[in-house]
Amino acid sequence: MKESHLKVDPVLQALRALAENDREREAPPEVEARLLGAFQLRHARRVRRIQRMRTWAASATLAAGIAIALLLWPNRTPKPAVNATPPVVEVSEAARPAAEAGPAPKVVRAPRTLARKAAAASPPQAHEVVTDFFPLMNPAPSFGRGQMLRVQLPAAAMRTVGLPVREEHLGDLVQADVLVGEEGMPRAIRFVRFDVK
Amino acid sequence: MTSDEELLEAALHGDEAAFTALYRRRQGPVFRFALHTSGDAAVSEDVTQEVFMALLENGGRFDPARGTLLSFLYGIARNLLLRRLAMKRPEDSDALPEDLAADDDVLDDLTRRETIEAVRSAVLSLPAPYREAVVLCDLENASYEDAAAALECPVGTVRSRLSRGRAMLGQKLAVKTARSIS
Repeated sequence: MKESHLKVDPVLQALRALAENDREREAPPEVEARLLGAFQLRHARRVRRIQRMRTWAASATLAAGIAIALLLWPNRTPKPAVNATPPVVEVSEAARPAAEAGPAPKVVRAPRTLARKAAAASPPQAHEVVTDFFPLMNPAPSFGRGQMLRVQLPAAAMRTVGLPVREEHLGDLVQADVLVGEEGMPRAIRFVRFDVK
Repeated sequence: MTSDEELLEAALHGDEAAFTALYRRRQGPVFRFALHTSGDAAVSEDVTQEVFMALLENGGRFDPARGTLLSFLYGIARNLLLRRLAMKRPEDSDALPEDLAADDDVLDDLTRRETIEAVRSAVLSLPAPYREAVVLCDLENASYEDAAAALECPVGTVRSRLSRGRAMLGQKLAVKTARSIS
């Protein structure tokens, strides 16, 4: 390469002239406006996500509080919420912990081929059976919006709303739906069992 | 004055004023880097916007130990530009037109306006590695360290690219001038 022929100084001068000429060039104001719009949108989404997480955390804490309160609540006179005769909810085998389930009942097995055919014809499906809602606030304020939380509670909690539970099943776990109001207070509860058909 | 890093930290926590201040402080160099590298104002506008969007999305990845925030922004802009330019046009050859000897006075013959446009055009015709080094170090006055961080190469490589880029530029300008005279 012929380094002696290269003129670095005039090149630097020319580059400086270009840099000086373009010194004031910058992105048009629309770019800033678009970026600020994106920033606000992104930040608003972030704030909403944090608020949602806080609401969920508060609701979960409340649900846990309800579970404890229901357990510690002294037994009261059965007072069904809607039905004149309280619906009976039995603790499902599925919800019962394996360690507490006791000895497994004796099962009479169908012949394999028959069982297979039956299974192919109608696969077993779990259906939810729920009680009516039992109010947890008395008097209950008007209800606008809220959330339903699925929680697991000891079966003893069912007695507190007047549902019959056998003594030997009091420690079993049952599923319940807790209706939490917009203000975060638990409004009503219903119990769930799963029937396999 | 609040540092770039402090502004970024605040912006990532939702401080709009900090983001605006950081943008206003650094958009010019980013835009000009894109402009001198691509030669296209619309592309430079898009790249500037995308650089700051990327900063909002991935600003947490900025590591001050690896370079300044400005070099981080140059690095993002460079990657965006390389992607666009790779699609747009083939690289120029980096061979020097050695058969043409440069006249010592030819650059002086150009008017200021012509010089500027000739230099702009010559810079744009440099192969990307040399163009990036010249634009960062000579047009934007970035330090060798910042340029090295942005270009993801050692400082020594920046120096050698810069030297070769200037030499090529001298030759290209000499050719242009000789042609315009003839």
